Amino acid sequence: MKTLFLKDMRYRQARVVLTALGITVLISLILLLGGIMNGMRIQARQYVESTGADIWISAEGSGGAFIGFSMVVEEYMAFLNAAQGLTPDSASPLVFAQARPIVRGKSTKAIVVGYKLGKLGGPKQVLRKEGQAEGRMFTPSNFEDYRPEDPVPYEVVVDEKMGLEIGERITLGNEKVKVVGKAESRMFVLDTPLLFMDVRIAQKLLLGNTPHVNMMIAKTDANEQPRQVSAGLDALETIEVRTLKQTLRDIIAYYVDEPMKAVQFLRVMLWLAAGILVGMITYVTMLEKTQEIGVLKAIGASDYYVMGLLLKQVVLISAVGVVLGLILSYVFAAAAPIFVAINFVESIIVVCISFVVCCGSGYLAARKAIAVDPMIAFRGEI
Amino acid sequence: MAAVVEGTGLTKRFGTGEATVVAVDSVDIRIEGGELVMIMGDSGCGKTTLISLLGCILTPDAGELRIDGEPIDPVNEDLSVIRHEKIGFVFQLFHLLPYLTALENVMVAMDIASTKTDAAERRATELLTQVGLSERFHHRPAQLSGGEKQRVSFARALANRPKIVFADEPTANLDSRQSDNLMNLIQELRREYQTTIAIVTHHEGLKENADRIIHMKDGRIITP
Ligand SMILES: Nc1ncnc2c1ncn2[C@@H]1O[C@H](COP(=O)(O)OP(=O)(O)OP(=O)(O)O)[C@@H](O)[C@H]1O
Ligand SMILES: [Mg+2]
Repeated sequence: MKTLFLKDMRYRQARVVLTALGITVLISLILLLGGIMNGMRIQARQYVESTGADIWISAEGSGGAFIGFSMVVEEYMAFLNAAQGLTPDSASPLVFAQARPIVRGKSTKAIVVGYKLGKLGGPKQVLRKEGQAEGRMFTPSNFEDYRPEDPVPYEVVVDEKMGLEIGERITLGNEKVKVVGKAESRMFVLDTPLLFMDVRIAQKLLLGNTPHVNMMIAKTDANEQPRQVSAGLDALETIEVRTLKQTLRDIIAYYVDEPMKAVQFLRVMLWLAAGILVGMITYVTMLEKTQEIGVLKAIGASDYYVMGLLLKQVVLISAVGVVLGLILSYVFAAAAPIFVAINFVESIIVVCISFVVCCGSGYLAARKAIAVDPMIAFRGEI
Repeated sequence: MAAVVEGTGLTKRFGTGEATVVAVDSVDIRIEGGELVMIMGDSGCGKTTLISLLGCILTPDAGELRIDGEPIDPVNEDLSVIRHEKIGFVFQLFHLLPYLTALENVMVAMDIASTKTDAAERRATELLTQVGLSERFHHRPAQLSGGEKQRVSFARALANRPKIVFADEPTANLDSRQSDNLMNLIQELRREYQTTIAIVTHHEGLKENADRIIHMKDGRIITP
């Protein structure tokens, strides 16, 4: 009777279904949290990588371009453009600042990226989609020949996912800024859209119209090692210089790993909960089945036979639980209000580990259960 | 006829120190093939312990046991194999599996003995018909009366063609009519299968069915 364990499960279907659902929910939460962190990592990288820069320069003591408060004077531009190992004229000023623009009457989060058109740091062109109003890049200012009183049009290129229309205006630092184009979506951590504008405008709106930028970025010469170039420049007393790799590492540690430590901990706890859930329910079920197990043993079932009966149930419930959990995690991810990127390979690993955890705890409970004395069959209730 | 079960000097103690109970005390017992014996005695005198020893559920602290002429070595032998190959059990509280039908409850015993499912189903059908439950194959224990449950128990005990069936107070939870019916059935099964049966009972009324009665007192077999 290969289906003996199934009949047992059908008899206790409410409990079986609840156990499997419990595992399903826990596993999907474990996967969802992983997906959220993975999504944050992707978003932490995507803008930085898209710039094409491999040298990141911030103020001395800032701890890195995206980490601490960094202001660099623009005089460095001339120096960097002539610096050894850097591609001539590749040095680009960059404002990268958190802002709260008012969009359609609502204050929203965004990051202002002020850069110099034609240089590193922003999109090369705006998106062109059929049937939509033609966008364009913002009007560039004359950065090198800066005069505070120069009139520059307040124009911005926005993330396509912000849902703004070309010609619409948003408010930034008491000024109306006109949307002139849309850029391919490259949101920063936690779905923060980027607003690209001329570096002068960014200085005017966010940095009190001072001729400073938050960082400068550049490319190294094709035949130079970014590491060496970066180390050489970093020796200067007034700036901190990082490679792309170091910058990415800093940014992921600062924006994802450190703040998400609690979430990592929570994931481990959820695993523990899943294990305990299966172990506990199996154990309670076994306690209830003590008499049955004793009778089976009394009429000649070996420990192996009883173990098989119990383990098949544990394995089936765990398998159904984790597979449904995997499916549900994708449903949750699709419904989540933030960017979630579940890594399939990683989730398969998580699912396998969860399966082992669930089966393991079920096995422990079953091993305890089969130790019952078959003499119990001769007694009534214990 | 040769002895199906033969115990010599069987002893079983429970507990340690001052709390030690000698449940079965140096018992010599022999049950011949085809016999229907009844084991009687006061509550706590060791009847259940004795049949558990004879049925290889308990291992004795002292003494020797032979089943079907072969000595049993409780240390090196897997007693579960002896239990499903040579012995059938019927319990006072029936102990059928609640999630299985009557038919499946009988089949489980054969599944334990690795009998193929279709062969098991044939035999279970035959046995249940024999015990008068041909209308109850697909009923769960909860849908059966006490007497019916005990019949299923007997069918289960007989499933693997055991050398001997041990029944511990099989009628204690039945009314007198049901218990008479069950006794009639037992007699019928004996005629049909020549099974050896040992029944533990308090029912004086059942005595007349026995070939032999074994009286116990304080863990020993006595002659009253
Ligand atoms: N596991 C055990 N631990 C300790 N003492 C036990 C155990 N099993 C049985 N005993 C003791 O052994 C003695 C014999 O018990 P047993 O169950 O064999 O009696 P019995 O003749 O079947 O009684 P009853 O007619 O009430 O069923 C009793 O005194 C009982 O308390
Ligand atoms: Mg008893």
